Amino acid sequence: MNKESVIIIENVTKRFPVGEGEFTALKNINLQFKRGEFTGLVGPSGSGKTTLLNIIGSLDSPTEGKAIVLGKNISDLSHQESALLRNKHIGFIFQVYNLLPVYTVFENVEFALLLQDYSKEERKKMVMEALEWVGLAGMADKKPDKLSGGEGQRVAIARAMVKRPEIVIADEPSANLDAANTHAILKTMKQLNEELGTTFLFSTHDEKVMGYLERIIHLRDGAVEEDEIIEANIINR
Amino acid sequence: MNLAFQLAYKNLMGAGLRTWLNVGVLSFSFIIIIFYNGLIDGWNEQAKRDSIAWEYGYGQLLNSEYDPFDPFTILDGHGTLKEEQRKNLTPILIRQASVYPDGRMLSVALKGVDVNQSTLELPIQALKESTTAIPAMIGENMANAAKLKEGDEVLLRWRDKGGTFDAANITIVKVFDTDVPTVDNGQIWIPIQKLWDMTGLQNHATLFVANEQFQATNIPGWKFQSQEELLSDLTDIIAMKKVSGSIMYLLLLAIALLAIFDTQVLSVFRRQKEIGTYIALGMTRSQVVGLFTVEGSMYSLLAMVVGSIVGIPLFTYLAKTGIAFPAASQDIGIALADRIYPVFGIQLVLTTILLVVVAATIVSFLPAKKISKMNPVLALKGKLQ
Repeated sequence: MNKESVIIIENVTKRFPVGEGEFTALKNINLQFKRGEFTGLVGPSGSGKTTLLNIIGSLDSPTEGKAIVLGKNISDLSHQESALLRNKHIGFIFQVYNLLPVYTVFENVEFALLLQDYSKEERKKMVMEALEWVGLAGMADKKPDKLSGGEGQRVAIARAMVKRPEIVIADEPSANLDAANTHAILKTMKQLNEELGTTFLFSTHDEKVMGYLERIIHLRDGAVEEDEIIEANIINR
Repeated sequence: MNLAFQLAYKNLMGAGLRTWLNVGVLSFSFIIIIFYNGLIDGWNEQAKRDSIAWEYGYGQLLNSEYDPFDPFTILDGHGTLKEEQRKNLTPILIRQASVYPDGRMLSVALKGVDVNQSTLELPIQALKESTTAIPAMIGENMANAAKLKEGDEVLLRWRDKGGTFDAANITIVKVFDTDVPTVDNGQIWIPIQKLWDMTGLQNHATLFVANEQFQATNIPGWKFQSQEELLSDLTDIIAMKKVSGSIMYLLLLAIALLAIFDTQVLSVFRRQKEIGTYIALGMTRSQVVGLFTVEGSMYSLLAMVVGSIVGIPLFTYLAKTGIAFPAASQDIGIALADRIYPVFGIQLVLTTILLVVVAATIVSFLPAKKISKMNPVLALKGKLQ
């Protein structure tokens, strides 16, 4: 089945000022990601994985080249427009979960919906559904400090998925998890990817995560070293 | 905005002790500001009320030669009015005199007042009912200064209209208690009819006190001072007192605002990851700035609630029972009662709320606006300096 590209990266270069000079984090990257991909950016620290994800997530913009996400050139977006893009279409899962500590599990997941025009009833229904996806419906009233690492990351997945985004960006989601929890959250994400058709982009160097990826893009020193399709993991949707 | 309030409320409640410390200091400022201003307003009202009741009435018609601030004008600053012009006016004749209690000489203002008047609250009944040759009444401060008490006789020396000294014993028939020092300190009140006889200044008055029905007209040789004009000095003194007192509560408010400012600076620095998360979840930077600003201004709203819980019963109690002032404080030269009843008007409360909320919002916004320049990627990593 021929799928449309939701993300197009064209000749993207990203440089950061370091002292008096510059550090080039991405060098002339060209990639395309199709709807429903379950893809990982793999490489050692400093290879440019997170920088590329930040650009795709409209948290940053390229120094050169174009990053077109859902038809929008990231460099051309205003603060408001990029916030709207993130709010409606992109979900984030962070390495350290980044749950808001004073909110309950329910409120953390509900947060993304508060910025949109959902009624209270709609929000409640959507949040509970998202918590059921990750198996935490019974923990809605707990605060993040009462959760284990695996539970915290599952809340983060629910928060990223509750608004049914087209793209989910997961930056080292298993870095703080043990093997059992890593497999649990990956299975959950894979299931959501299959059921909802959401595009998942990971940055990882965790072998366990790689075992679930349909496509692995190897980055080294800011350049694409290899773009590998893992046929065994591809599921026909 | 509603969302910012909801989130700010949750964040503040979640911050626990830090929030309540700021709220505590700010609510204390609220209470002190309202208390101090209420006290001054209460004093202002009491001083005006007593000055009107005891001295000013509804205005005074002063002989144009007489200047209340120049004792040398007392000698010639008097005159008469026609019968029809005296309607609704109480005559007061002032003469310089001396009394000699226990052999000491005290210069006094000898004041003759109509014993049938009802405009002023002076206890003239005692003068009216006395059968002594020259009945006199004095205030408590004067009684203390001259060491006189009711029933005492004391030698009085005065000058008649020709400038000739005369002397006689007067009898203190009443020592009255008043909050108005200008009818008490260094003053002796006798019936004006007696004073006319003693000085030969029949029907003369230094000034006339108007009652409510008096209509001011232009009378040659006399100048009318309205109640407002007479009270203006008192109002100015109290306004000055208010300004000098405000330094104290502004300092307190500054400390409270500094605590909020400090908390906000710390929050923006310490909560970088949270700020980055807000932005990643789709909040605009201005929304995050708004959230942090509302958080800061919400300290003042919470302080208002806490201040109300403590302040309403306290202020209600104080407004009922008043605050006692020591006797020594009565000698400051303006009307000050033994007990001041603070007045906590709605305008005072609303002005204070507005002052504190606006100030808290400004000091919250200043550190929060830094967020608008934050790089969300660095914020998420908590790497901003």
